[in-house]
Amino acid sequence: MTTRPIPVPPRGAEVKWHLSPPYSARHLLWLVLIVALLLVTGQRTDMDRMVAMTTQAVGNLIGVADDSQVVRGLSRVGTAMWPPVIGEVEEVNRMSDLDRDRLPLFSYIEVQERVEQRMNLETLQLEAATEQVEVLVKPLGYVWTVFVKMVETLEIALWGTLLSVVLSIPLAYFAARNYSANRFTYTAARGFISLLRSVPELIVALFLVLAYGFGPIAGVLALGLHAAGFLGKFYAEDIENADKKPQEALEAIGAGKIKTLWYGVLPQVLPQYIAYTAYIMDRNLRMATVVGLVGAGGIGQELKGRFDMFQYGHVMTILIAIFIFVFLLDQLQARIRARLI
Amino acid sequence: MIRFESLNKVWPDGTHAIRDVSLEVPRGQFCVILGPSGAGKSTLLRAVNGLMQPSSGRVVIDGTEFNARTQSVLRRRVAMVHQHFNLTNRMSVAANVLAGLLPMVSTARAMSGWFRPEHREKACELLAQVGLSPAHLKRRAGELSGGQQQRVGIARAFMLDPEVVLADEPVASLDPKISSDILRLIRDAARERNATVLCSLHQVELAREFGDRIVGMRDGQIVFDGSPEAFTDECVESLYHGAVWDDTTPEEAAGSSLALGTTNVSLA
Ligand SMILES: Nc1ncnc2c1ncn2[C@@H]1O[C@H](COP(=O)(O)OP(=O)(O)OP(=O)(O)O)[C@@H](O)[C@H]1O
Ligand SMILES: [Mg+2]
Repeated sequence: MTTRPIPVPPRGAEVKWHLSPPYSARHLLWLVLIVALLLVTGQRTDMDRMVAMTTQAVGNLIGVADDSQVVRGLSRVGTAMWPPVIGEVEEVNRMSDLDRDRLPLFSYIEVQERVEQRMNLETLQLEAATEQVEVLVKPLGYVWTVFVKMVETLEIALWGTLLSVVLSIPLAYFAARNYSANRFTYTAARGFISLLRSVPELIVALFLVLAYGFGPIAGVLALGLHAAGFLGKFYAEDIENADKKPQEALEAIGAGKIKTLWYGVLPQVLPQYIAYTAYIMDRNLRMATVVGLVGAGGIGQELKGRFDMFQYGHVMTILIAIFIFVFLLDQLQARIRARLI
Repeated sequence: MIRFESLNKVWPDGTHAIRDVSLEVPRGQFCVILGPSGAGKSTLLRAVNGLMQPSSGRVVIDGTEFNARTQSVLRRRVAMVHQHFNLTNRMSVAANVLAGLLPMVSTARAMSGWFRPEHREKACELLAQVGLSPAHLKRRAGELSGGQQQRVGIARAFMLDPEVVLADEPVASLDPKISSDILRLIRDAARERNATVLCSLHQVELAREFGDRIVGMRDGQIVFDGSPEAFTDECVESLYHGAVWDDTTPEEAAGSSLALGTTNVSLA
């Protein structure tokens, strides 16, 4: 071993200190470059039009501008969406399995008059025909439908998260450089994780709907696969960065990889693992409302169906339900956080 | 018995940490290794349980050579007490001690934490022996003081009734009173099992008090080997001299240390 003393300049030697200013011409050049880049991309993404239209809309709202395309569009949708649909009315003679003695809760049968325009084949003119129709009225029918769909959404998120945890544990093991069996398994696991992470849930769901059909299976799989990539990566990185000392102690007595991981790593990384998993649960809850748009079950599927049929009142009910759902989740999360900290 | 046979270690960066070390430590001996920082004490100890692969030479434990084939069997017989305790901080004291059994229990048993009653009893006994109380069992290891953590480390090391105990500066970060308590614990537990102890230290006084034998190392070589009585203050002086910065050039320093090496070996 060689130990050298720290070099100290001889006494009396002149030392020139120089501290340059924090910015130079090069920084200015960078600034100009960045601003130019922002201007170009802003132009390409129509940011100029966005500003103009928004300004016009604000102007219209405060009475300065006469007309605004944005305000017109929004108010048209807004009026169509109001009021939200709460009840449901079904024609009795279209329901095959209605038991008149046991109606669903809060519902009742009513006779409604319906006026229909019919073509009279003899006169070839439209005539108004009045018809007596028996209908089943469910005052909270649609709210209940949405509630059931919301529960399904919750279940999709839950199972998606469960699936992602189960998948990511072996992935994380092989993607941790210090535990993977060899270079090949390491690279394969890392590659697979990147693949899972690179495809967004919606796109995965799009394909899985083709494979599994409409419904929650595709949703659960889509959420689970994407999140498995995320969790696999973060679990693995925590294993790699975990304190080496306890692992060394267990390696020294020949405890074996799995047992070392269980006793030397897992207890140390567990709080982080819980945090990652909670994040994924939160993300999946929000994503589960969306994957239905491509037919993968849950509230999104209901939303898409109603939207496509121009039933904006129903859409409004769904949007309100999603808002309440997310709001309640945030409250719950705040509670849990307060409890844990 | 541990035998080092012309052991060499050159790290990838070119550091020659162990230079042709041959040493034989009989069964049951408490052998203290002294030497300045960077002398290669840790490197030498870590050759015994394969945490370090020697560049050449071999280590023989009770007639069995340490190599890739015998490693898994030999590691169970060699325990280690670490300078930084190396406990799993967020795990309970009890689990840390039971972790000392891991090579002997099935993966299912280890993962479920369902250890045999006799093993749990043994953990408790050892914890009592090192001076901890039942109240400590469920505490997180990281919450204990350094001295207490090292006691847990010792209990863990003796769970498998080792034949060899490696202690790499086990008291480096502890106060003098606790230091000698800890060394006494290691010595007594080892004597009870007739285990060989290889212990590196930085405290000469403790080395003289606890060592049956003192081995002085410098620049990867053994420069002193003898009884504590033979390890005089002059030996201490020459062992550590030159390791501190002085005006000599590295070449001079290397030359003088070589000279010292020969005098000390003859001294032993
Ligand atoms: N993993 C490593 N890679 C490269 N060089 C190493 C490594 N471990 C130790 N060394 C070098 O080997 C030499 C001996 O180190 P070692 O840790 O054995 O010394 P030591 O006697 O235990 O010192 P200390 O008393 O400070 O613990 C040193 O020069 C050190 O820099
Ligand atoms: Mg050391």
